[in-house]
Amino acid sequence: MPGPHRRGGGASSNKDATRQVADGTETRSIVIVGGGTAGWLSACVLAARIGEVATHPVDITLVESPDVPTVGVGEGTWPTMRCTLRQIGLDEAAFLLECDAAFKQGSRFDGWRTGAADDRYWHPFVPPPAVDSRALVAGWQRHGGGRAFADAVSPQPAIAALDLAPRQRDMPGYAGALNYAYHLDAGKFAALLARHGAGRLGVRHVRDHVVAIVRSATGDIAAVSTRDHGAIAGDLFLDCTGHASLLIGGALGSGFVDRSATLCNDRALAVQVPVGPTTPIAAQTISTAHEAGWLWDIGLQSRRGIGCVYASRFMDDDGAAAVLRRYLSRAAPGIDYGTVPVRQLRFRSGHRERFWVRNCLAVGLSAGFCEPLEASAIVLIELSLDALLANFPQDRTAMDVQARRFDRLFHYRWDRIVEFLKLHYVLSRRDEPYWRAQRDPDTIPPRLAEQLMVWREQPPSQADLPHVDEIFPPASYHYVLYGMDHPAPAIPPATGEALAEPLTLLRQRTRALAASLPTQRAYFDGLRRAAAQGPASSSGLR
Amino acid sequence: MAQHAILTPATHATTRIVPERSVAMGDGLTSCLVVPDEFRRAQHEYLILFRRDIARDRTDAVVLLGFETGENLYLKDGRWDARYIPLVMDVQPFLIGRFAPDVAGGQVHIDMDSPRLSDTEGTLLFDVDGQPTPYLEGVIEKLGALDTSYRASEEFFAALRRHDLLEPLTLEVALADGSVNQLVGFQVIDEDRLIDLDGSALDDLHRDGHLMPIFMALASQSNLPALIARKNAELTHG
Repeated sequence: MPGPHRRGGGASSNKDATRQVADGTETRSIVIVGGGTAGWLSACVLAARIGEVATHPVDITLVESPDVPTVGVGEGTWPTMRCTLRQIGLDEAAFLLECDAAFKQGSRFDGWRTGAADDRYWHPFVPPPAVDSRALVAGWQRHGGGRAFADAVSPQPAIAALDLAPRQRDMPGYAGALNYAYHLDAGKFAALLARHGAGRLGVRHVRDHVVAIVRSATGDIAAVSTRDHGAIAGDLFLDCTGHASLLIGGALGSGFVDRSATLCNDRALAVQVPVGPTTPIAAQTISTAHEAGWLWDIGLQSRRGIGCVYASRFMDDDGAAAVLRRYLSRAAPGIDYGTVPVRQLRFRSGHRERFWVRNCLAVGLSAGFCEPLEASAIVLIELSLDALLANFPQDRTAMDVQARRFDRLFHYRWDRIVEFLKLHYVLSRRDEPYWRAQRDPDTIPPRLAEQLMVWREQPPSQADLPHVDEIFPPASYHYVLYGMDHPAPAIPPATGEALAEPLTLLRQRTRALAASLPTQRAYFDGLRRAAAQGPASSSGLR
Repeated sequence: MAQHAILTPATHATTRIVPERSVAMGDGLTSCLVVPDEFRRAQHEYLILFRRDIARDRTDAVVLLGFETGENLYLKDGRWDARYIPLVMDVQPFLIGRFAPDVAGGQVHIDMDSPRLSDTEGTLLFDVDGQPTPYLEGVIEKLGALDTSYRASEEFFAALRRHDLLEPLTLEVALADGSVNQLVGFQVIDEDRLIDLDGSALDDLHRDGHLMPIFMALASQSNLPALIARKNAELTHG
């Protein structure tokens, strides 16, 4: 693991503020426009890791407007975040405490199949035993003891159902007995990253409003003009301006590809509900379907974030408020709904035509947004940075080639995300107009429609998802497909024998884990006590 | 006085056992009992000695854990730093019910005053259905092995007496800080007597399965330098 890549004083990097970018110019300065999760995560990851790839020193500057509020409802990460945080040199205990974070072990989908009271399935982070996909499905049917798919092939649903943490406190940071991600307070997360990036990683932090974008003669972005700090020049720009998409959409004119014909949800009502110090902390995101959308429920240490996602074509704002109120009265009793501030979010699922144009890369909401059903927003930031670092343009010469390759990769990924989200809807048997519309063949991407035909005869496999680093591997499709009661294909039963022994071991392991893992609440109580007693775990750096 | 309770799923549904090993958890012992059946596993790590209990008129085997009262040199950073933990320590804070020593009958007792008990941290004893967890199953198995072997060990010690195979140990341990510690009150296998045993005596010991633990106890003496090294490391590094 690389250590934090420290640079010299930030002040000296401002000397060539008026330099123009020309072909052949080395990439010596990266300017990130926009704070928030995307901006600060980009700043920290690049500052920590650019030394692995760049042949020369690279200055990182982040320009953050004090006027523009961040969206700050992205509260779910993927397990990749553990690797990312370790790479940027944050201590896990300090991160958990400062971001009010909790462990996430996947998602639970309530009411998605029929809406009946016992309608529930899991999409855990721990994949099934590594056997061939036919052996997996046949083995589940033969040796699964009548359990639902995820409950039979992963230890995680049973553990998460008990509100248990995926790790013990004395394990090394970022290690788990079970694969896990985080639920976090996005505002506190961005603040922690800002302190870490500016304080420890040498990121130059400019608090100023961008008033104009300066283009060079070639058409590249030369600088961003700020109200009080003048022009801030750079060789490579990251557009982290959120939905405004100031640089890539505004200045460089990369158009918006509307995916709302497939994913019709376009609004959300979000609330934050404080919880008592002894209440259990749910170990997974709970996604509950309703008549015209779904609700998220995300448990942190001190609060729950709950939101109602809906399609304005099928439900008005009052209707959504009523759905949210009903959910709260059932799932969070004792909350006076009238006193909780409700935020409305409006969005359109879709993404940019191009994500990297000339010397500007869109990272975060500026690149696109899909409804938050599988928490794809933050992981796309991480994937964008991984791809940038793996293909870092040392100078301007090959940048356009890298940009086209990046675009191809992320078009592929957005397409897979759109299809995978749509999969959750097309398998439902709910009968409301919204759900019937979600199943309208005209709204289903052709590739997904083809795959659904294939999956009647064979389980999802590498053949359906051929990329080396697919955003959703076949295991994710298995969990949703068989969780949603998609009929399993006919497979010779003997094929399932390969799963018999792994399932026996898995059941033993589940029992041992259930006995030895602490509840999430006990974990965080203990973590806070330990932090209050000793300085060892309260420092920002490992 | 320790307060012992019969272990039941109803009364101990949320009880957890903290896995930490430390003086605060009651592990600060200079020696602990071992049974002949575990000599083979213990001789990798510990010095096995014998101790005459005059009041109870019996001999016991122990492993030496430290040199001063309350000193257990195998404790390190909240862990027990060895590949094997003696059964007597491993089953803490459980014991076999006094009035019904038949473990199969379910008479497992728990020391309710043990600092290892917690409602929030550690390993659960029963799962949500009231079934013993794999951890408790392991404890029950170890309690049974301990009880069986302890009761069978009378014969082993009688054989040692019969063949006069124990001699008092006199040992002076010089430590890095210049101090000299004396180990007193222990016995070891009398190696000369063992070598001089005739064929029928050896046959007698072998037939009853006593020869193996005798040699394991002898072999364990090679662990003394390692124990002294632990002590010296502690003296040097504070």
